[in-house]
Amino acid sequence: MVLNYKSVFDIIGPVMIGPSSSHTAGAVAIGHAARKIFHAPATTLTVRYYESFAETHRGHGTDYALVAGVLGLPPADPQVPNALTLAQQQGLTVKFIEMAGPSPIGHPNTAIVTLSNEQRTIEVAGCSIGGGTIEIRRITVDGFELKPSGPLPILLVWGAKDNDQRIQTKLAKMTKIMRQQSYNTAAKHLVEFDLERSLQQHEVDSLQQGAAELVYL
Amino acid sequence: MYATIAELVSAAETADLSLSELMIQQEVANSGNSRDEVWAGMERNLEAMAAAVKRGSTGEGAFSKTGLTGGEAIKLKNYRATHQSLSGDTMLAAVQNAIATNEVNAAMGIVCATPTAGASGTLPGVLFMLEERLNLTHEQMIRFLFTSGALGMIIANNAMIAGATGGCQAEVGSASGMAAAAAVEIAGGTPEQSAEALAMALSNLLGLVCDPIAGLVELPCVKRNAIGATNALISADMALAGLTNKIPADEVVGAMKKIGEDMPQTLRETGRGGLAATPTGIKMKMRIFGQDRDFE
Repeated sequence: MVLNYKSVFDIIGPVMIGPSSSHTAGAVAIGHAARKIFHAPATTLTVRYYESFAETHRGHGTDYALVAGVLGLPPADPQVPNALTLAQQQGLTVKFIEMAGPSPIGHPNTAIVTLSNEQRTIEVAGCSIGGGTIEIRRITVDGFELKPSGPLPILLVWGAKDNDQRIQTKLAKMTKIMRQQSYNTAAKHLVEFDLERSLQQHEVDSLQQGAAELVYL
Repeated sequence: MYATIAELVSAAETADLSLSELMIQQEVANSGNSRDEVWAGMERNLEAMAAAVKRGSTGEGAFSKTGLTGGEAIKLKNYRATHQSLSGDTMLAAVQNAIATNEVNAAMGIVCATPTAGASGTLPGVLFMLEERLNLTHEQMIRFLFTSGALGMIIANNAMIAGATGGCQAEVGSASGMAAAAAVEIAGGTPEQSAEALAMALSNLLGLVCDPIAGLVELPCVKRNAIGATNALISADMALAGLTNKIPADEVVGAMKKIGEDMPQTLRETGRGGLAATPTGIKMKMRIFGQDRDFE
């Protein structure tokens, strides 16, 4: 059993703009994850849809939902259906591509989101597994290709290598670390932690101290 | 976390606590939030559900942009006011609440996903009808949602709740099972009877495909929630009367998972099979989207 659904509010909730929790609320969540990892204003957004997402994104409002997530709107925000207009106003160019064939991350509700500006490009492969809950199965950032086990929460920490132990000790007191993986280049060091339960804001804040950059998904 | 329904039921019996109480305690322990915060979170969900039912049952009702669905909760409301219904007014109240919620969902209004938006009418269908029929307190209504959530988590973690992975049995089927179990608790039944109600409700909807017209959460989704709600009530009554499913709830969940995995892709929320592939369904899709889609 994979514990994707960790809270009663994953099942009763979210409160959201219809019509589909996996194609709308889940799409907002995938967009939101990409926004957090990108961490700066983006100028272009490309979304590649697979399988059920490719077949039905137009009917489900998946396009505006993904953009709403990238713009940082919560799933019940009345502005969600207007997200494409908002993106245009904010100078974000969006493109949606329906891909043939199976999802490269093995789920029928797959969206691969690419965000870029002049300095940087990231890619997030997410799938929407139902009820608004998502998995992130691949992240390409700073030349690293991360393959998390999928279920959130996932914590990414950039910084000096000797910080890892400190973060790990702190995290272990908060929750169980389901997987830990570090990635290195000469210039950058990144650690990925897949966690058992959601962290509260003050816990994330306390981990932030001393880390060069931290992304909590 | 409870891995199985059997484990949850046995924990409730051992501790002499309700399923809703176990769910609340688990949520407090796992989230790090206080009991008051957890309770208040569920109150906000209940408010959103009540608002959706009200919106779909007031005035002209809610209508989707495509024109495929809308206003039918109002038709039922008027029918109830002027006719002696065949299935009984209580049953039709549940149907009306369920349809009202899913019409709001199809109209891109605000709903609470339970467990999904496509299945968001099933729980409110049952809950707001029981509120009137049994004079439920506010606390009982909140507990109904915690019980539903406890069982929904086990279904979601052991099988699936998305139409794209398991068909509509995973959405309305799961919701119906969750609502049946919660209805039993609210009516004073035992945790074991809740499990039986879930087992019967889910067994009744096994194999239900996800075949939305034009890929939209409208037809047949709205009315399938009416079936989810009434099936939950019938299953809860059967369990309270002492009927049993014979196949245990966890094994029914396992069967649902296997059926979902065996289901062809055309019947898993692709809008390419079942009712979506009928001549009228295809005509509707062409009218809404103008043309069929092109792959890159």
